[in-house]
Amino acid sequence: MGRYIWIRLLKSLLSIAIVVSIVVVLVYKLVPTSKVFEGDEAFRKLKANAKVLYTYNRLETLGYCDYLTSGEMLAAELGEKAHSLKPSDEEYQRVLQVFRDRGYTIEELTYNDKLQGTHVAYRFYNSFELIGHFFAKLFQVDTPNAIQDPNWPEGLQRGYRFEKDHNGIYALTCAGCKHKYQLYFDKHFPFIHQNFIHIYFGESYPSQQGVNTLEVIGSSQGKKVKIEQTFPSGQVLKSPINQHSRKYKFTRDHLDEKKYGDDPYADTTNMQEAPSMIFTSYRIGLLSILFAYLFAIPMGIWMAKRKGKLIDKIGIIYINFILALPSLALIFFFKVIGYRFNLPDKFPQLGFHDIRSYILPVMLLAIMSTPGLMMWLRRYMVDQETSDYVKFARAKGLSNREIYNRHIFKNAVIPIVNGIPGSIILAISGAVITESMFAVPGMGKMLPDAIKAANNNMVITLSFIFTALSILSVFLGDLLMTVVDPRISLTVKEGLE
Amino acid sequence: MQMTNGEKYILRVRNLGVKFKVRDRELTAIRNVSMDFERDKVVAIVGESGSGKSVFTKTFTGMLDNNGHISQGEIWFDGEDLAQFKSDRNWLKIRGKKIATVFQDPLTSLNPVRTIGFQISEVIMKHQGKSRAEAKRMAIELMTRVGLTDAENRYNEYPFQYSGGMRQRIVIAIALACRPEILICDEPTTALDVTTQAQIIELIKDLAKEYGFTTIYITHDLGVVANVADIVAVMYAGQIVERGTVEEVFYDPRHPYTWGLLSSLPQLGDASQELFAIPGTPPSLFHKVVGDAFAPRSEFALGIDFEEEPPMFKITDTHYAKTWLLDSRAPKFEKPELIRDLHEKMLALTSKGGVYGSND
Repeated sequence: MGRYIWIRLLKSLLSIAIVVSIVVVLVYKLVPTSKVFEGDEAFRKLKANAKVLYTYNRLETLGYCDYLTSGEMLAAELGEKAHSLKPSDEEYQRVLQVFRDRGYTIEELTYNDKLQGTHVAYRFYNSFELIGHFFAKLFQVDTPNAIQDPNWPEGLQRGYRFEKDHNGIYALTCAGCKHKYQLYFDKHFPFIHQNFIHIYFGESYPSQQGVNTLEVIGSSQGKKVKIEQTFPSGQVLKSPINQHSRKYKFTRDHLDEKKYGDDPYADTTNMQEAPSMIFTSYRIGLLSILFAYLFAIPMGIWMAKRKGKLIDKIGIIYINFILALPSLALIFFFKVIGYRFNLPDKFPQLGFHDIRSYILPVMLLAIMSTPGLMMWLRRYMVDQETSDYVKFARAKGLSNREIYNRHIFKNAVIPIVNGIPGSIILAISGAVITESMFAVPGMGKMLPDAIKAANNNMVITLSFIFTALSILSVFLGDLLMTVVDPRISLTVKEGLE
Repeated sequence: MQMTNGEKYILRVRNLGVKFKVRDRELTAIRNVSMDFERDKVVAIVGESGSGKSVFTKTFTGMLDNNGHISQGEIWFDGEDLAQFKSDRNWLKIRGKKIATVFQDPLTSLNPVRTIGFQISEVIMKHQGKSRAEAKRMAIELMTRVGLTDAENRYNEYPFQYSGGMRQRIVIAIALACRPEILICDEPTTALDVTTQAQIIELIKDLAKEYGFTTIYITHDLGVVANVADIVAVMYAGQIVERGTVEEVFYDPRHPYTWGLLSSLPQLGDASQELFAIPGTPPSLFHKVVGDAFAPRSEFALGIDFEEEPPMFKITDTHYAKTWLLDSRAPKFEKPELIRDLHEKMLALTSKGGVYGSND
């Protein structure tokens, strides 16, 4: 069993790597680079040679290509002294040739300004390099030697310390790492947080420029929350700063010094009141699944028990009605009903902290997933009814109820159990239509939006998350099957037969 | 027709008729059958597929499929007419508790996702009102009794961990868990291999003695019949056409259908000639059967066989047959050559490893 799980895990990781590699190649090779800049304000304002330089510079930071200005080329080839060379010099031309031979494309800046006549070199990465770079930066480990700064404060010893901080909370801190707090506790799920290792998918662009994609979907949203807190300098302030987020800041201003004294860890994020996109979606999704199962399973059983009777017919009409009705129509229908009960038709009207905001989206999502569950459970139960063991159970003298509860149900849920982890885990990915209809600040819209905006790193991030979660759900589903079905065992057969 | 426990007959069936609705047509599966079952005797009901032998016994436990119903007659058991039972609640005190059934296929008779122990214990807890611990003790005892070694450890195993023969032993253990008065064995050995068949039959025989129940076998294996039965009833097209003690039916059969059935025993054929088969197919039970249902397939059919249904003729106190051949006005036929001296022939076969007579 243990061995099977390990092999299965390895296979899962491999599948994730393959899927993500394909997505990386698709995104970098097939999305036109011009589309990348469509949403970039700065790009639109630039003109002439500056625009050319910005383009390649940006493409390099996005990971499309390796890009050098003529200065960089010369410095790389000839060292410091080369700055004074002019494009007309023989040496200059030789350097260009060197880069040309290495596969770079040399482009002359043609617009009439002071850069005119100089050259830039760029080389777009091939698929393998793209994949390689992606995985090379995927895991970012924080160590006490991570920060190399000439202005490193004297007397600050690199290394880990377990200490009670000035707000009275124990934490493992680090000097020399990027993050001050390596291990800390707070009241947010999962209560223990670490900064030793981060998964890094690149930065979001062009929307939310420069922010790590995982932070975009994972950090809180909305209004800042100010709480009274003590800063290392001893100052007590009502501030939204989340001190646990402190990162090393290379250039500090006097405001930082007021709060943190000579502690260089002054780069912080703010606390905001609304939960993150991923959590908002998850809360709605999880609740809807809970209600869906609570409704669909008893209904499915009931229908199977009274096959062909009134309740079965009502159930079948319900299933067909929900399946046949376009979800948009259902949403509008519910909005009209909700209006009568004073329920908001947009999530932000009352916000995340009001339970009424959740009622309509949760109910809709729950209702939309009931027909499938009911239909299949009913069907599996009806199938089981004609089996021999049911006949024998009846001959044993068990009552109908005992037969259903003890024998048929357990057999009928086996195929359904397989899908439960999937529906729970994948609730995280949000519901596109429902979330946009209710303007829920969740995950549902993220992927379509990211694709539309050519936010490559976001597309890759979301693909990675969804792939990993899908594979994990299938895996957990199979594990759960072994719990309910004794015939399935997860052992690797060796050389049998 | 009230009966008490001390009487000779445990179950009396009178003029039973069973009809099925198949789409918009009606099928008569049992046509006016009467039969008394003697206490502690082993009765074998034989006949080809579709003759109604399973349906007949299903009426004793109210296990007819939803589209079937008892159209006429009475089934007297324990002072009650089972034919009058309408709801499942009536049946719960009979089914499993007093009349138990063992089905054909032990591979599918057990719930695949419940432990063997659970499936035995639940019956004991239900019908005998025992506690879980006590039920477990009794179940392990039963498992040991039906021939499982290491029952204690196997209590928590699942059906897929048992072989076919062992599963049938468990099915029998479950059937006997409530000390039933009647055990109906619906082709209990059909799905098993020959050596296992013999063991299972032996087991049922022993248990019948020990527990004192009346056994009703449904089978088309005449070897089994000869081995275990006291009384044989031959069914054809929803009727019992001949019944008698096993000796009477085997060595002095009177109905042409019984002749045909016995002649079809593959063991009687020899390599030089083709095996005997009864020509034709049974009549459709969707239509009313006129005369003797077997007449169109019988080489001994008389004119009257096509016009009027024969009555049950009494041959001895225990032997009856439903054929016009027994009428005093009928011409005399000898039974087919193949089944004369059947006793000797079958004894000779046992030396080749058949089931017949292995316990004599």
